[in-house]
Amino acid sequence: MSKLRLSFLLPLLAFAVLALFGAIALYSTLSGSRDPAQLPSVLVGKPAPQTTLQRLRQRDQNNDNSVTLTEFRGQPLLVNFFASWCAPCRAEAPALEMISKDITIFGIAYKDRSEDTAEFLQQFGNPFQAVGMDIDGRNGIRWGVYGVPETYLLDRNGVVVLRHAGPITRGIIENTIMPALEDLGS
Amino acid sequence: MTLLAFRTMSQLFHRIVRLIKVYPPIMPTKPLRLAAGFSVFLAVMIIAPLTTTVFTVGTIPAMAITPEEILGDPKLEARARALSKQLRCLVCQNQSIDDSDADLARDLRIEVRRQITAGRSDEIIIEQIHQKYGDYVLFNPPLDRGTVFLWLAPIGFVGLGVLIIVLARRNHPVPASPDLGAADRTRIETMLVTRNSANSNEKERQKE
Repeated sequence: MSKLRLSFLLPLLAFAVLALFGAIALYSTLSGSRDPAQLPSVLVGKPAPQTTLQRLRQRDQNNDNSVTLTEFRGQPLLVNFFASWCAPCRAEAPALEMISKDITIFGIAYKDRSEDTAEFLQQFGNPFQAVGMDIDGRNGIRWGVYGVPETYLLDRNGVVVLRHAGPITRGIIENTIMPALEDLGS
Repeated sequence: MTLLAFRTMSQLFHRIVRLIKVYPPIMPTKPLRLAAGFSVFLAVMIIAPLTTTVFTVGTIPAMAITPEEILGDPKLEARARALSKQLRCLVCQNQSIDDSDADLARDLRIEVRRQITAGRSDEIIIEQIHQKYGDYVLFNPPLDRGTVFLWLAPIGFVGLGVLIIVLARRNHPVPASPDLGAADRTRIETMLVTRNSANSNEKERQKE
C-alpha cells in the first residue's frame, strides 16, 4: 500500500515542481512584470556613447550638417530611436508629443532615409528638438539598440538613467519616465 | 488527455525504478530506490524536450549570411563565422547571429567583419559587443556573481546524487550472497528438473 502511494505521489510531485516553474514564468509574463522580449540595457548608469550624426534638415532650424549628443548637455534629455518604417513608432507619437512639453527630445532615425523620416514627422508630428540620421544602424549598435522604438533618459551630464524598449505610452510616462525625471530635478 | 499524459509519465517512472532495482544492487531499500528513480525521472523530464532541438539543429540548412557580407580572405571569413556562432541574436531567441535572418543579426555580422578587417583580435571584438548588449548576447556567459548559480548548479546536482548513493551504501551495505551448501544445490536442481518435466507434461497433454 505504502509502495503504491509513494510511487504514485513521486511522479505527481515531479510534475507539480515543473508545473510550478511554468506557472511562475507564465504568471509573471501575463502580469507584465517579466517580458522575455525586454532585455536589460548595459548602458544604464554609464555615460551615453559619443554620438555625432548627420542632421535631418528641417525648414525652420539651423543648417548645421551634423548633430552631436553633447549639444544637449546641461539638461535632462530623452533620446528616442525611431524609424518611419516602424509601426509602434507611429503608435507612440502622441505620447512623445505629450512629454516633449516637459523634456527635450533628441530623435535618432534608425536605418531610415531622410525623405521618409521627414514625411513621417510631417504626418505624425515632430516632438524632436533635433533629428540625427543613423542610416546604417551602426550608431544603434553602439547604444545596444535591438529594435525600434527605444528610448533613453539621460541626466544633465549625459549619463543614461533608464532605457525603455518598445513604444512609449501614457502609462510609461506617468509611472516610469516622470518619476525618474523628478529624481533628476532634485 | 491530461490523464493519459500522467499515466505515461507514471509508467516511465515505474520503468526507471524497476531498472534501478534490476541493474545495480546499490539501492537496497525501497524509499531510496524511489528517490533515485525520482531524480532520474526528473532529469528525463527536463532533458527530453531539449533533445528535440539538439537532433534537429544539424538537419536544418542554416544559411542566413548573404554573399555580399562574405570577406574575400577565407581565413578572415572563417574567423568571422566562428565569432558569429558565439553571439546570440537579440531579436530571435536561441539563434546565433550566424543563423539568423534578422536585420539586426545581419548588422552585427557586418560589424564583426568590419572589426576583423580593422585587425582587432577575437577577444576584443567579443568584448566590445558584450559591453553594448550584456551577457544576453553571449552563448557562453562569463562566470560572475549573477551567473554563478547557472554555472555551479549542474556540478551541485551531480554532487548531490553521489552523496545520496554514498549514504545509501553506508547505511545498507550490500549483503554478501549466502554460500550455498552442496545439499542445497542438489535440492534446487531437482526442483528445477521436476518443474521443467512437469511443464513439458502439461504441454503434451494440451496437444492431445
